[in-house]
Amino acid sequence: MSSIAPEFRLSRFVASLTDIIFWVVVIFTLIGLPIVLILLFYIQLPVINDKLLTPYLALTWLADPSRTLPIVKSLIHTDFFRITTFPGFGFAALLAAGTIFIERKLLAKMQLRVGPLYCGKIEGILQLMGDGLKLISKEIIIPAKADKPIFWAAPLLFVGTAAAFISLIPVAPGWVVADVDVGLLAVFAVIGFFPIITLLSSWSANSKFPFIGGIRALHQMVSFEIPLILSLLGIVILAGTLNLTEIVESQQHYWWIIFMPIGAIVFFTTILAELERIPFDLPEAESEIVAGWLTEFSGMMYGLVQLGSYLKLYAFAALFTVLFLGGWNGPMVWPPFPQEIITEGIKMGPITLHVPGLPLLDQEMLNGTLWFTIKTVGVILVILIPRGVFPRIRIDLLLHTGWYKLIGLSFVNIFIALTLVYAGVLGPGGLIQ
Amino acid sequence: MADAVFLAISVLTIGSAIASLEVRSMIYGSISLMVTLAGVAGFFLLLDAPFVAMFQISVYVGSIAVLILFTVMLVRRELLFHKIEDPRRRYAGIGLMIVIMLGIGTIIIGSGIKSMEVDAPSVDFKEIGKDFLTYYSPALVVMGLILASAVIGALTLARREDVTNEQRTD
Repeated sequence: MSSIAPEFRLSRFVASLTDIIFWVVVIFTLIGLPIVLILLFYIQLPVINDKLLTPYLALTWLADPSRTLPIVKSLIHTDFFRITTFPGFGFAALLAAGTIFIERKLLAKMQLRVGPLYCGKIEGILQLMGDGLKLISKEIIIPAKADKPIFWAAPLLFVGTAAAFISLIPVAPGWVVADVDVGLLAVFAVIGFFPIITLLSSWSANSKFPFIGGIRALHQMVSFEIPLILSLLGIVILAGTLNLTEIVESQQHYWWIIFMPIGAIVFFTTILAELERIPFDLPEAESEIVAGWLTEFSGMMYGLVQLGSYLKLYAFAALFTVLFLGGWNGPMVWPPFPQEIITEGIKMGPITLHVPGLPLLDQEMLNGTLWFTIKTVGVILVILIPRGVFPRIRIDLLLHTGWYKLIGLSFVNIFIALTLVYAGVLGPGGLIQ
Repeated sequence: MADAVFLAISVLTIGSAIASLEVRSMIYGSISLMVTLAGVAGFFLLLDAPFVAMFQISVYVGSIAVLILFTVMLVRRELLFHKIEDPRRRYAGIGLMIVIMLGIGTIIIGSGIKSMEVDAPSVDFKEIGKDFLTYYSPALVVMGLILASAVIGALTLARREDVTNEQRTD
């Protein structure tokens, strides 16, 4: 037994669980069911195959495996699924959660520590769940003289902006939430919101450490936005489009990192600065200004800001993959769906199960997602590793790096791209297509 | 649908513009200015000009509004403004605005703009780029020179001879 809760008894825990279940059942039958029946009286139900689609019929259809798959398949192609689950929020949140755990474990191994170990018995794999439960159950403390509306809104806005960034990333052919013609410009527009939110939240806490951190974050993000935008112009010149999907399609035979390694290096450095990661983590320098602009956040507000920053990490790594590493392009390694299941059904001894609606997802999409995920995870690992190696640098060196060296290098990159275009090597009508 | 969105964006833009002038707290004033600028971006999106809308957001909301916010936070309000409470000035301002809007409105209604096509296809931003580099290239060059001279002038003004830099730069 742990020493934290010495009065813990399994029997009491089970009793409280059964108690809760009993009351839920009682309240649902007495109040919930009448409400459902009253609502059903007013809702106009659709008629399918000359049958009124009552909830009972809908549940029956859902339980029937031969009808479930087409329903699921039509669900997958809705906008709702795209926004919440696959190329959108759910997929990104899953990768972000994995990133948090991998980061803690990887850094611990690099520094000869053990990292999270006890939660979940095997190498602490349930640590993240424990942390989440802790953050949800913690009290949210707001400083007495804080500006409350802005202070409350800041974490939500941060997560929302990160989610808007994610929605622009194409994951597999045709799998993107918002396929806009000016995708790269939309990315720049979304990135511009992060310094505002950081500065407002740090100001609204009405405390010294967050404000210093917020000012640092503002300096850092605003000055590194310029090399970020300039380093991507080379790709726009060579690909001839701003649409992220078309940029991926233009890298079918070779990746842009081959022709523009300087641009890739500049972009990677600016990613580190925009994400406030070591060696550029001055806004959250824990040895100087407590936790920087996150100091006054507590409970789930802190959790939301952390979620937002890891979503941002995923989004930037995915953007690097899309722009420089060829996105979903890669050799076809996903096995094709076995044809005999579609034609003959699944044979289990004497029973043959015919499942209409298979395959659920086509081979190209799965293969693309696989390659995209592998590349993105690789980029995320490369972003994580400096944290175990480098110290934090001074702010004047940071700004010097941003304004002098990176901007100069990104101009060099643009000239390389222009040379390739005018020499007739790449671009429209070039030697290599 | 488009009409409803237009009305909503108009109310948001004008309301936040009034709020940015009238709100006592300067931080909230600059936030509402940000909402106004974002609302203008919404108008551009409604007009099938996503290129301009994205630049509106990234330049005005992302940079200029941040600059205003930063200045407001760092400088005391008394140093920036001194208050002159005079209701007559406000009424004069409102009257002047109405006169100017009426004037512009009569000019626009009198000109040929009112008979514009509604179903015309949106202008591709690549065409704008081509025009800039071919027919309007002198304008582009002049614009670049003006911006460069502004940047050089700002650097010259910001540079101070009497302060020696004591920090290490290695």
